[in-house]
Amino acid sequence: MSKSKTLIKIKPNTYKNGDVVKVSFMVMHPMETGLRKDKKTGEFIPADYIKSAKFEYNGKVFTTMNIWETLSVNPVITTYMKIDGEGTLKVTFTDSKGTVEESSEDIKPKG
Amino acid sequence: MKRRDFLKGLSLSAVTAVVIPTVGFAADEKPKGANALAYKDALAAITGGKTPELSDKVSLKVPEIAENGAVVPVTVEVDYPMTDSDYVKAIHIFAAKNGNSRCIDAHLSPANGKAMLSTRVKLGETQEVVAVVELSNGNFLISSQSVKVTIGGCG
Repeated sequence: MSKSKTLIKIKPNTYKNGDVVKVSFMVMHPMETGLRKDKKTGEFIPADYIKSAKFEYNGKVFTTMNIWETLSVNPVITTYMKIDGEGTLKVTFTDSKGTVEESSEDIKPKG
Repeated sequence: MKRRDFLKGLSLSAVTAVVIPTVGFAADEKPKGANALAYKDALAAITGGKTPELSDKVSLKVPEIAENGAVVPVTVEVDYPMTDSDYVKAIHIFAAKNGNSRCIDAHLSPANGKAMLSTRVKLGETQEVVAVVELSNGNFLISSQSVKVTIGGCG
């Protein structure tokens, strides 16, 4: 996971089946609006931002998002999810250049 | 002499620090982004002509004064059950005066357990941040708060 640019955090650290936990995602991304000028050349820096996000838990998509360039640099997105058995949480981000970023986290409920 | 040089340098840098941003701001005209969409149109596209109901079930947490417009934390929490038949379908966040007023649309499902969305947005100027919540029964709830922005964060 060290190569991935996406960080996934689950709060609290220990959880049980049926718990509703907070999940945060942080993606390293410049989120260029296309309106900013390069100070050296004076030309506009082309737009480059995350377009969409998809969250899967055990192969089932539970949240999708449309994102625009108005989010801050290195966007952090927090939402909730219900723990329902062991499995993996997969996050997929697609940016305006077509790059796809995938990251996953194991879900291990205790008790 | 050393002290004099130092003072000279200090006053000069102070002058440039004040002058440069204002000149730079006035010189270039505001360009429009490819995704530019006014708030009214963006809202109409989502609600499809329905009038969203102002509701205190939607709690929108935004700082009243944002020193840096480039990073403004926004949290939307909806006091609504998330059952299979009745749940929050989507949370939309808008910045009313940004070139592209849309920030994020989150399409939720009952598997979320709780309707909450938190992120950080860019605000170009002092404006209203609006949260529109779409319910599974087709109704819309709305909540808004104005944010004073000291330094704009777009461009």
